[in-house]
Amino acid sequence: MIDTLRRLRGNNNEGVLVAVILVLVILMSIASPAFLTAGTFFGLVRSSLVPLIFALGVLLVMISGGIDVSFPAIAIFAAYTTVSWSQDASFDPGLVGIFTLAVLIGALWGLLNGVVIARFRLPTLIVTLGTQGIIKGVLLTYVGSAYISASRLPESVSEVSNFYLLDVPGVGFLHGMLMPVVLVVAVIWWMLKYTMFGRSIFAIGGDVEAARRVGIKVVRTQVLLYILVGALAAFGGVVSVILGKNANPQSLIGMELDIIAAVVLGGASIFGGRGSVFGTVLGVLLVQLINNNLVLIGIPSTWQRAAVGILLIVGVSVQALSAMRLPKRAILFDDEGPKK
Amino acid sequence: MSNFGSVDFRKNSSKHASHLSHLISTVQVQRGVGRMILLLAVLFLVFAALNPRVFLNPFNLQNIGTGAPEIGLLSLAMMITMLTGGIDLSVVAIANASAITVSSLYTAVSVGAGVDAAESLTLVFIISGIAMGALLGAVNGVLISVVGITPILTTLGTMQLFNGLALVWTNGTTISGAPSGLSAVGSVALAGIPLLFLILILVAVFLAIMIDRTPIGRKIQLQGANPVAARYSGISSRSTLMTAYMTSGVLGGIAGLLFLARNPSASADYGSSYILLAIVIAVLGGTNPNGGFATVLGVVLATLTLQVMSSGFTALRLSAFEYAIAQGALLVLVMVFDQLRFRRWRPIPPPPSSETVLIATERKRKAERS
Repeated sequence: MIDTLRRLRGNNNEGVLVAVILVLVILMSIASPAFLTAGTFFGLVRSSLVPLIFALGVLLVMISGGIDVSFPAIAIFAAYTTVSWSQDASFDPGLVGIFTLAVLIGALWGLLNGVVIARFRLPTLIVTLGTQGIIKGVLLTYVGSAYISASRLPESVSEVSNFYLLDVPGVGFLHGMLMPVVLVVAVIWWMLKYTMFGRSIFAIGGDVEAARRVGIKVVRTQVLLYILVGALAAFGGVVSVILGKNANPQSLIGMELDIIAAVVLGGASIFGGRGSVFGTVLGVLLVQLINNNLVLIGIPSTWQRAAVGILLIVGVSVQALSAMRLPKRAILFDDEGPKK
Repeated sequence: MSNFGSVDFRKNSSKHASHLSHLISTVQVQRGVGRMILLLAVLFLVFAALNPRVFLNPFNLQNIGTGAPEIGLLSLAMMITMLTGGIDLSVVAIANASAITVSSLYTAVSVGAGVDAAESLTLVFIISGIAMGALLGAVNGVLISVVGITPILTTLGTMQLFNGLALVWTNGTTISGAPSGLSAVGSVALAGIPLLFLILILVAVFLAIMIDRTPIGRKIQLQGANPVAARYSGISSRSTLMTAYMTSGVLGGIAGLLFLARNPSASADYGSSYILLAIVIAVLGGTNPNGGFATVLGVVLATLTLQVMSSGFTALRLSAFEYAIAQGALLVLVMVFDQLRFRRWRPIPPPPSSETVLIATERKRKAERS
């Protein structure tokens, strides 16, 4: 019985999150018949796409024991630069071309993060704070600061902006960008679970020294990780340009702490070594559910931020209190004496 | 977030290492302050040489003096929590809550009982703003020291919560109105020095005395340097952390008053970019983000350096974005430089000398992981 419960709860409290989301959904559908419709669901999916990609990047860094606040800057830098180059050159490289170019730019910024962090062993929060300023400054000074409206986006981008998987007249539509995002989520899940690289990230987050001693190349893994995270951020940036149908170089920056909050809600440990893709997806969905639909259960929309804050505090309090109640494990080397 | 505290075990284990780590901490003291004095002087001279007419204009120098205090106070708040090995991401939200409290109390009284009555209560409003800061700081303190949530998570949550409640309170709008006494503070200068700047200096001196000369200050430092050693020396981590986060809240509250002094309006969204800037300044000022080391003077100098840099960039007609690049590059370079220097000094850790130390290290590591 207890085992079943424990299994339902999941390694990172995913079960609890599912329960909270279900309770919210039930409350919202009782309170408002307008809630349980395909339109609400499509809206929820659409608003979760970009935060979800960013959250995956944050999750990877957090599992490795770091915190990244530079991802929104990388995202908008890569997306805006790509779009504005293709506009200046009056050349549309096609959707694949745009994604490839943006991802390459993002990976380069990620390389900078990775080299500084891994080579000099500096605190990730401080380094990414610094690179965030550099990236934002370079974008607005040297690339451009003008808003690019829908009519001036490359044709391939505006075309895919209006591509829907499902278009139910009078209800809403399911955006086509869902497909690549689901694919990326699946790939990251597979990578974390089944590849040497994924397991190395967990190992480094669990204990750097132990990881080094079992033969993991810590510096190389970290540099690769930040390259990957930069590429992910760039991918998210392009998706946000596609969904928003414009490219604004001042957008996205400032959302970093909200995304980190969603990932923490999803059960990832800020000390590294713990976290799951499933939990992160749930954390992002929960925050978006609150942001989109709190009005339905009679709570004014100004309460959104406070509600997410309360949820976050309650979530981490429960974790902290249950960690305190866990029986302290015996210290194994007690009777062997100290190891020299 | 690494186990920097373990450095201190070495102090116990060998006399030689103790001597060396003492030397390192002395170098660090001079490093935070010394490099900032140097940087400040160099930047000042460069900007003065490149565009003396604009940069050395008394008006510009006064602007530096009025712009620095609010971010300076927020950085000092960040510093004291970093000193305990934590962080306070909610400090800007606290400052806004204080400003909103004062502004809405003032408006409510002046609508209800007339402007004169409201003006006569200025001191009460100011105290209530600071009290709001202390209260919100106490919320952080309880969550961190009693419930046992990691500071970065606690303040990430309370940042959202305080900011969210402020949005509910103001309905997401900018509210205006502040006691004229406060606005006067924002525009008065004594002997050419803006009063706001003198307030920053006064608060900084108080804080420096508190950290370096009082028992609670010592406790805060030890708590950050090595929580386990602090516990074994009989220091209550609960009351130490509580004091640190309440102090941070009070400093945030005063910063909120300064927001109002410069501009008689308040909103939940004001200064959202300040939070990351405060971390940058604290670290540039020589604060160890892992705890245990910080100087008030270093942080004040770092605040001035960034303010001089910002106004110098304006004087040279460089954009705010170019300033963002310089700020980021400065942070990364200073960190890299420190690390290279620190590495040369770092002694090889000897093995833990006794079973107790071994157990304590293990416990500390586990406590930090959980």
